[in-house]
Amino acid sequence: MRLPFKTIPAGLGASLLWTAMAQAQSATPAPENATFEVEQVFAGTCGFCHSDGGRAPGKGPQLMNSPRDDDFIRSRIKHGKQGAMPAFEGAFTDAQIDQVIKYIRALKPRDG
Amino acid sequence: MRKQWLNSGLPVLAVAAFAASAALAQTVDTSRIEAAGQNDWLTYHGSYKSHHYSPLAQINASNVGNLGVAWMHIPGRSTRGLQSMPLVADGVLYYTGSYSRVFALNGATGEVLWSFFPELDEALISRQTHSPYNRGVALGEGKVFVGTMDGRLFGLDAKTGKVLWETRLIDSQKLTVGFTGAPLYAKGSVIIGAQGGEWPGRGPIFAVDASTGKKKWEFLTVAGTDEAMKTWGNESWRTGGGGGWMPGTYDSETNTILWGTANPAPLYDWSGADYKTQGARPGDNLYTSSVIGLDIDTGKLKFYHQELPHDAWDFDSAVGEFVMLERDGQKYVVHPNKGGFVFVYDRNLGVKNVWRLVENINFVKDIDPKTGALIGRRDFSAGKVTEPPLCPFIGGGVSWNSGSYNPKTGLYYKIGQEWCMTLDVQKTTPVTTPQVQLNIGADFKMAPPPGGEIYGHLDARDPITGAKKWEVRYPEPPLGSVLSTAGNLVFVPDSRGVLHAYDAETGAELWKHNNGTGHQGGIVSYSVGGKQYIAVTAGFGGMLADEYAPNFGGVYKSMPRDDGALVVFSLK
Repeated sequence: MRLPFKTIPAGLGASLLWTAMAQAQSATPAPENATFEVEQVFAGTCGFCHSDGGRAPGKGPQLMNSPRDDDFIRSRIKHGKQGAMPAFEGAFTDAQIDQVIKYIRALKPRDG
Repeated sequence: MRKQWLNSGLPVLAVAAFAASAALAQTVDTSRIEAAGQNDWLTYHGSYKSHHYSPLAQINASNVGNLGVAWMHIPGRSTRGLQSMPLVADGVLYYTGSYSRVFALNGATGEVLWSFFPELDEALISRQTHSPYNRGVALGEGKVFVGTMDGRLFGLDAKTGKVLWETRLIDSQKLTVGFTGAPLYAKGSVIIGAQGGEWPGRGPIFAVDASTGKKKWEFLTVAGTDEAMKTWGNESWRTGGGGGWMPGTYDSETNTILWGTANPAPLYDWSGADYKTQGARPGDNLYTSSVIGLDIDTGKLKFYHQELPHDAWDFDSAVGEFVMLERDGQKYVVHPNKGGFVFVYDRNLGVKNVWRLVENINFVKDIDPKTGALIGRRDFSAGKVTEPPLCPFIGGGVSWNSGSYNPKTGLYYKIGQEWCMTLDVQKTTPVTTPQVQLNIGADFKMAPPPGGEIYGHLDARDPITGAKKWEVRYPEPPLGSVLSTAGNLVFVPDSRGVLHAYDAETGAELWKHNNGTGHQGGIVSYSVGGKQYIAVTAGFGGMLADEYAPNFGGVYKSMPRDDGALVVFSLK
């Protein structure tokens, strides 16, 4: 399963993060018509702690079937939790964080 | 007696005692660290020989049953536990807590002589993953040296804790990374390596003038030479990872700094077998996952061995142990690799032998013990890796903490970790500029070894041949360092919180004590006023420890990950 989100600005995967941070710092409008490959972003960054693509607990909690609401998850991604999770405000735009939440909500157990 | 207090808040008597001790003190310098006086622990690895061994024998196999807590110190704000290696010079114990907090304590009583809490860029630290723990200080020329997560190195007055100089070495705002490892002092220089690996950068190692704080040189572990630049296709060197986040050592005979380097980024490559020309970082990716020898005066590369060319598994060489020993007239350097193999080198890092510490290894079929060449590499393409799972787990066959070599028994005591992982490798778009977060390249999950259970083990081995004399097993891998002593003892602080003492010849358990929380830091021995002490840091949490609660449950479910203490033992 791949989840291309054409509405999200900037380049692919991790290079997007740097661009996004520069944007956040300089308030430069984001370029249009690029793709945010949320699976790449997850495997590049989030999956280090949220095991199996978010399907299982690791250093961080399991995200699949999370009982937390979107506002909580959005706030946690933005602001992090001291000593447990980095703050991604400045790394991800609000729209990108929404795509990460969509990815989390779409998580299903792996086949087999 | 009426108490009189100085401005510092220290009782006069304590100051007087400290002053007397300091009067007897000699400056910590290169020759003193080389000699490794028995009462002290002057550098991260005990001495430049990296033995993590104490020649003290007052506490020994016949009386260790009488060992008890002498004093404790609570550093506070122990986010992700305590991970540092205490140092001791002339009766004063120096150690760090999270956020690079430095404490100087009376080694006999635990009384605080001074403390130093650097003002840090908290907003930056909140964006970091491998943070805010600190793994220790270096001592030299009457100073204490400590690195910070926001990219600075401090030189403090060892008697007062006052800042003598402060040098910014890394633009951490840009690269996110900073320093968590202890520095190394040698020959008038302070050497410290940056975090790296999964962060897209070039993993610098720095030398700073110990007197002035002025930067002397910088070596880039990613493409630091013209030769190395050619081993990174598609200009992937710009974001190659690397780093050298644990302290190495100094070889005075060759005037060389020996250092282990971290992995390239992304950790997991989708290149498949054509990794020389395909994937996220085509080529061997020098000098990542390597051991390197740098001229201490110039920082120029003198020799190296890349333990894992094109490391596609995050089994790097950043472990800082370079165990120096001699046998039959030959001089050796023993260095464990995260993948679970132990490399034996000559003093110029020429391969003399390679042996397996860990049973469950399948990222390669083997490593040629004569040449160090990898045999039967397992290079992944994009997609799932489950049958069999990759072994070892990302936590490694060995972790970054140190083993111990005991010259009296001739044995090397080292923790091995038996665990594996499933993963789903992603075909990533190349990262071309430094970014604010990790570059991993796969989703993954811890898994048991095929047909077995996860466990850890303390091995007593011949350091050159790898021949095993005895082994002790643990249900979960211990993560702390190991200490051996001339008292025929081996101390292992385990993950559940129990400090064990074993007979160094047989592995029989002679004593244990529950410190109340898991260990993942250092352990040393020293002597003050004719009395021997064992000091260990307790406090769990961090990149590997955080995996324990979801995977092992039990005591880990309620174990704090924001607490810790320095616990010091002596005979009752």
